[in-house]
Amino acid sequence: MLARIAHELYWLGRNLARAEFTARAVEAVFQAELQGTSETTPGVSFGSGGLLAMFGDVSEEPIRPRNGRALGQLTLDAERPGSMLASIERAREGARTVRDVISAEMWEAINTTALGLRGGGPGWAGVRSTAPAGPSLASQYVKERTALIWGVANRSMLRDEAKCFLDAGGLIEISDMVLRMLRVALPASDSAPADGHALILLQAVGGFHAYLRAVTAPPNARPVARFLLFERAYPDSVAACVDSLHEVFTSADAGPRNSKPVLRVSRLAADLDFQRRALPDGAELTGICEQTQQELARIDQDVAERYFAGAAAAGLRR
Amino acid sequence: MGTGVQTPAMDAYRPQAPFLDELFEDDGTPRPTARALVEELRRLGPEGLMEAGRRRDAIFMQQGITFETKGADDGEGATKERPFPLDLVPRVLSGQEWRDIKRGLAQRIRALNHFVDDVYHAREIVREGLVPWRLVASCPHFARAVHGIRPPGGVYTHVAGCDLVRHSDGTWKVIEDNVRIPSGISYVLENRAAMARLVPELFASYRVRPVDHYPQLLLSALRSVAPSAESEATVVVWTPGPANPAYFEHAFLARQMGVELVEASDLVVRDDVLYMRTTRGLERAHAVYRRLDDDFVDPLEFRPDSLLGVPGLIRAYRAGSVAIANAFGTGVADDKAVYCFVPDMIRFYLGEEPILENVKTYLLSDPEVLAHVLDHLDQLVVKPTGESGGKGVMIGPHADEVELQRMRRVISTHPDRWIAQDVVRLSTVPTVGPDAVLQPRHVDLRPFAVFGERIDIVPGGLTRVALEDGSLIVNSSRGGGSKDTWVLEDGDDADRAGAGGYPMSDTQPPALPDLRYGAWTGQQQQQQQAPQQQQQAAPERPGGRHRRRPRATPGARPR
Repeated sequence: MLARIAHELYWLGRNLARAEFTARAVEAVFQAELQGTSETTPGVSFGSGGLLAMFGDVSEEPIRPRNGRALGQLTLDAERPGSMLASIERAREGARTVRDVISAEMWEAINTTALGLRGGGPGWAGVRSTAPAGPSLASQYVKERTALIWGVANRSMLRDEAKCFLDAGGLIEISDMVLRMLRVALPASDSAPADGHALILLQAVGGFHAYLRAVTAPPNARPVARFLLFERAYPDSVAACVDSLHEVFTSADAGPRNSKPVLRVSRLAADLDFQRRALPDGAELTGICEQTQQELARIDQDVAERYFAGAAAAGLRR
Repeated sequence: MGTGVQTPAMDAYRPQAPFLDELFEDDGTPRPTARALVEELRRLGPEGLMEAGRRRDAIFMQQGITFETKGADDGEGATKERPFPLDLVPRVLSGQEWRDIKRGLAQRIRALNHFVDDVYHAREIVREGLVPWRLVASCPHFARAVHGIRPPGGVYTHVAGCDLVRHSDGTWKVIEDNVRIPSGISYVLENRAAMARLVPELFASYRVRPVDHYPQLLLSALRSVAPSAESEATVVVWTPGPANPAYFEHAFLARQMGVELVEASDLVVRDDVLYMRTTRGLERAHAVYRRLDDDFVDPLEFRPDSLLGVPGLIRAYRAGSVAIANAFGTGVADDKAVYCFVPDMIRFYLGEEPILENVKTYLLSDPEVLAHVLDHLDQLVVKPTGESGGKGVMIGPHADEVELQRMRRVISTHPDRWIAQDVVRLSTVPTVGPDAVLQPRHVDLRPFAVFGERIDIVPGGLTRVALEDGSLIVNSSRGGGSKDTWVLEDGDDADRAGAGGYPMSDTQPPALPDLRYGAWTGQQQQQQQAPQQQQQAAPERPGGRHRRRPRATPGARPR
């Protein structure tokens, strides 16, 4: 397929995954901050400040708890590149470019999501009159719609290169987001509240229920981080994403045996598996998070070089 | 005019003399072909039309079938996306009318194709003294770079769309030819799909000929001209990019044909062969359906500042390694000044009399004609020769004195850049107004022809409608809308696709007496039938009654 189209699909996947993840995180943080922190179990801190830091968005003024503004920036502020609306709009632009490759149904699903989040336009009356008000409703909307979009993609797209690159974008984005969150939230050293309450992290990725069923330990920082990094049975864990990445690149690549991105992903998958088995239960994981994230960045580069080499020139027209 | 709720929208409708109305006679009674349609529209009523209109806008927004309009006339202000304006009252053409149009168009397109070939080769028509060479050479779309190149199959105008209008005496006339990159076919297909979804009841009494085979026609035409010896030819659609107003159509056609939609950055010429950049390296492209103007396609031969072009493409084209549709340089045939000579071309190249007439046109390079036109400017239409899309057109009877004066000055300075035409009394079709009341509005028709091994024309075409009262300008960029165009099936068209077959609804599916309704209904029935079947060990009665309900036996069926 065309290198430019593959590139667009890859970023379509990334933007969709980013919007979905942002929605989940915003909703969790919004709920948590409304209730205030529990005094008895201090736990890891992951609030709107942490959320902004995760998106590389460091604000000058200190963010007070219950300050709705930070969350507002992450939901419907079109000016902020990290907001859900901006991600969805980028996804729509990308989908418009690859409209001939994705199914009509899928384009409609993405287009409707963007229009609904924007709050309509001419001729929009009767479908959804206003944009969802408040972070909670907006997050809910984005979560539902992205689930619909992925569902439509899975049911209507041919399992060919196009789907592979779409999936690859989504997978790399999810694992990157999880790693960013862990790096922001996990305390760097072995200092005092190293292993506190970490329910918020699970809620922020929507994995609370899965955790309860997979792990017997209470949701404290260390086991939660372990779960989010290594648990292969949980689809949004880093290890599961890397495994799937390996699968999609192997099927998309013409010669996977000597393809740099495939080899690198395969090494990363093996490495994660090794760490899971080698590390004791209470071990410190921040170092691994950092290494893994850097390795993912290298994979991203390799992918661009190997598959999208032709698309570099396309950047000129923007 | 009573337009109360209980008064149906149709009853107040009166055609505007002297214009011909296509659905109604002059006295306001429906024409024979339109009777059933009018009846259904009456049943739908204003509320029904309003409701369908709302659903239409929502569907078009969701599907992204939109076009962008500027906030203000001067291009300032934010662009706004609007749903494509489809009017819910279709236009109906009888099978006989359509056959005449089709024959006329095929003849015209054949002649235009001959003309393009002639202009870039022997120039016989010029030597014969029928078309002045000066006129051809001064045409802005005349392309010296392609002189002497003959594309595969000798086809230049693979895709053509001629604009037709219907005069008040009922005759069809050609008002403009488009053999460069005519657009609008996607709206024909989308309009039909939307109509069938929104107002299926209108189709009830009609057999409308389908239009959705166009992408396949186009694809096979492109394949037939592609220079590919060994394997299946790779066809691509070339778009200038998502910023182009017709991008929707480009993506639509690529998707419907199942081919790649490429931009300039995807294409590269190596050793006079065109390739596209893919995730697996370079792959060859054999035929390109290009949707951008000659000027931009190759910076080495045409405009050097074009960023949308592929350097070396003309060389590859000249080497014959790639087919381009439409061929470069075809613009010379749809120039508004060359238009006057099309009837002569038909006689010269084909030895036939033109089936479709031209609108009377005045070439202003002749001083006598010019003087006549300047005197009668308020009764004529003037158009710039090099423009399309209704830009710069002035309609004399609708212009005020200031505008006429300005136009007189402009024309006298550059008479060769303008043509004048008689005002055509465009026919009208009832159109849903803002308050769901039907009003007569002027329409034209753009049928789409595909020229591969033969000429195929999709039944109907794009009907464009002026949405303003009395307006004659139908271009969607200037506030026009569109209508679904129905060509009625009358079982008398020899060369339609799948000739000799019966319409689908007339054939009986083979009976499957041994197949019973299984699964969930069957399960229930089985339980109910069980005692009965034991009693009645007789074999099934053959044929016909396989949907027999179980006979109620006492106790077998709860009441």
